[in-house]
Amino acid sequence: MDNCKYVRPFEEAFSLKTVNEEADRCLLCLDAPCSKDCPAGTDPAKFIRSVRFLNYEGAAETIRSSNPLGAICARVCPTERYCQKGCSRSGIDHPIDIGKIQQFVTDYEAAKGMVILEKGKPNGKKVAIVGAGPAGLTAAAVLLQKGFAVELYESHKEAGGYLRYGIPEYRLPNAIVDSEIKRIEDLGAIFHFGVTVDQKKIDELKLHFDAVCLALGASKGKMLPLFAGAKNVITAVDFLAKTKMAKGDIQIPDNVLVIGGGDVAMDTVTTLKLLGVKEVTDVVYETFAEFKASKKELQGAQKLGVSILDGYVPTKVEGNTVYFKHRTKESELSVKADLIILAVGQCTELGNISEITLTKGEAKGQGKVFVAGDIAPGEKTVVYAVRSGKLAANDIAMYLEGK
Amino acid sequence: MTKKDLSITFLGVKFPNPFCLSASPVGNCYDMCAKAYDVGWGGVVFKTIGFFIADEVSPRFDKIGKESTPFIGFKNMEQIAEHPLEDNLRDIKRLKKNYPHQVLIASIMGANEKEWEDLARLASEAGADMLELNFSCPQMTSHAMGSDVGSNPELCKKYCAAVRRGSKLPFMAKMTPNITDMVPVAKACLEGGADGIAAINTVKSICSLDLEKHIGMPIVDGKSSISGYSGKAVKPIALRFIQQMRQAIPNVEISGIGGIENWVDAAEFILLGAKTLQVTTGIMEYGYRIVEDMKNGLQHYMEDQHVDHLEDLVGLANKNIIPAEELDRDYKVYPNIDLNKCIGCGRCVISCYDGAHQAMEWDKDTRKPKCNHDKCVGCLLCGHVCPVGAISKGEIEFKKGRQGKRKKEDIIL
Repeated sequence: MDNCKYVRPFEEAFSLKTVNEEADRCLLCLDAPCSKDCPAGTDPAKFIRSVRFLNYEGAAETIRSSNPLGAICARVCPTERYCQKGCSRSGIDHPIDIGKIQQFVTDYEAAKGMVILEKGKPNGKKVAIVGAGPAGLTAAAVLLQKGFAVELYESHKEAGGYLRYGIPEYRLPNAIVDSEIKRIEDLGAIFHFGVTVDQKKIDELKLHFDAVCLALGASKGKMLPLFAGAKNVITAVDFLAKTKMAKGDIQIPDNVLVIGGGDVAMDTVTTLKLLGVKEVTDVVYETFAEFKASKKELQGAQKLGVSILDGYVPTKVEGNTVYFKHRTKESELSVKADLIILAVGQCTELGNISEITLTKGEAKGQGKVFVAGDIAPGEKTVVYAVRSGKLAANDIAMYLEGK
Repeated sequence: MTKKDLSITFLGVKFPNPFCLSASPVGNCYDMCAKAYDVGWGGVVFKTIGFFIADEVSPRFDKIGKESTPFIGFKNMEQIAEHPLEDNLRDIKRLKKNYPHQVLIASIMGANEKEWEDLARLASEAGADMLELNFSCPQMTSHAMGSDVGSNPELCKKYCAAVRRGSKLPFMAKMTPNITDMVPVAKACLEGGADGIAAINTVKSICSLDLEKHIGMPIVDGKSSISGYSGKAVKPIALRFIQQMRQAIPNVEISGIGGIENWVDAAEFILLGAKTLQVTTGIMEYGYRIVEDMKNGLQHYMEDQHVDHLEDLVGLANKNIIPAEELDRDYKVYPNIDLNKCIGCGRCVISCYDGAHQAMEWDKDTRKPKCNHDKCVGCLLCGHVCPVGAISKGEIEFKKGRQGKRKKEDIIL
């Protein structure tokens, strides 16, 4: 397929002129709602004010000090659900585009070669982190700044998890993933790739490290039993990974059916359209009123001409044809497609790791295992992974250092 | 994280950073000043105290905007403190006790020599680190005070001498810009015993009018008055006065005032010789919090300039401001148009035709400008109006027969 649209940013970044104009729209309000609504604890009111007063370096310091993956969150965070939700500017027109301002600032930080995070004074303690996705990377960055030695164990060949293998190139270029990981490497993180961690390995890590952090993501796409025997079915997770690894240079038939209405589904249909697939039909269980994906992603997909049908449940698969029934209305539907992509949720690949270890961790007293990432409580977004990574790192520091 | 040291010694007093509240509504009582210190201001000039107690009008402010900027200049009608003198002295004492490491400057204003001397003594006894003599408020209801005094060098000198008799503290005299030349007044103050100068106070103004009622703003029972103008719009005027004083009075120590609201403004004042900086209008619009980005931005600027002491930047630009007759007039520099950046709005063509020398030509088909060097005088108005910064300084050309032995590369653009 022609990949030129897939590898180019979907949205134009701010220039110096437009970022200043956007910061000028900010009302610099008292008690800013944006700064209370970031799961990662970033303070948008402060960094937007820095941009307003031409202090771009200071803005970068504010972002980076609360979020080691600031350049990534800037691009992928569904800000409409968090910082932009309560924006006072909505009283006049529409919220400040906080994500894009953050992107400008982190790009500025990179262009200026700023190194903001500093390695802490070594405290002689070692932590193993299992999983080098957003949660593990964040936990590593926080611990390294506190003086811990950190080693990460990752089953893939490279770090990044869903950032590298899931989020499409037009939203999150892997060059950005690489540079963010490089910052954490420069703080002293040691990576071990191609290591699958099971209960035995966890027990082994517990012997060699002062604490272990399981930072696992929901990396496996779910299949629906109905599609067990169907041909040409793949999960959205696999499709996105394959496409990103090939930089969009893959063959896809001209008629694709996607099932699902979350952010992963939107990434999938948008990717298909950007790669030039003519017919992209997305059938969604939720109605538009209940939609799970961010409005921005939904609108992006609709603009590209994806047909989205809401409120339907699949009932039967016959060859290349899938039959649906509406959940409430008297309405039936059949879609024939050459490729069917299921974006109906993800789960973790846990192997034989004990359930208790996973859901609660073992800390607070006897054990040494802490959890972060999709397996920890909370929403399954990148910014929540960052949050859980920070929380786990702070818990570990508290456990090992009492502070 | 930047960790540059912003401390600086001004008139023998060490400031943790150069940023101070100026004597104005923003430093009107204990709670305000305490909050300012807590947010990180290096010093406070407490609102001017005197035996005179101000009786204020309502409303008392106006503003002027331009296009999308609502607050480019600001007018106020406030005089000096409206609280009784003893309350102000009590607040000063309490501030100094609770914030011993931040600088407290008492601004004073008397109506005669005795008042100046007494106020100097009282403020010193209250524990102030430094005094500022307010010779410059342009809206006093008494003509024995304010800018009427500040435009009279003899009176300023006499009052400075009175203050010197009343106090051993270092003190600065605050200048009015409502005068053609500030230098004679500044010199008189220094001769009278002042240790330094603060400049500028506000500029006498009428900001705007109500077009229906035919009255200046703000309206006070159908009338209005001329009063002080401040904010970003007065910065160029402040910088000019500071430069002139630094040139006429070598190494004079100056506290810069006038439209400072971000680190760039601060750096400009410092490069022209200000050692400390005072702010009001920016605070009135945005709050004390603006000091955070002024401090942090200035620290990053110090990093970029490779200096460890703020002092090293003070006055670096003074030598580069010279009389117009001494500027090099042997060459012109043509605009360089980056056609990749150009979005084809034609604003450069309009401004060049209507405001300059009709040199910018327009290609109707491509909707792009082209500079005709035969007509271009190198004024670069085009660069100032370009909305996307596509026009920069380009090729240099010497005027006929005036190159001498010089090379184009040696010209600093």
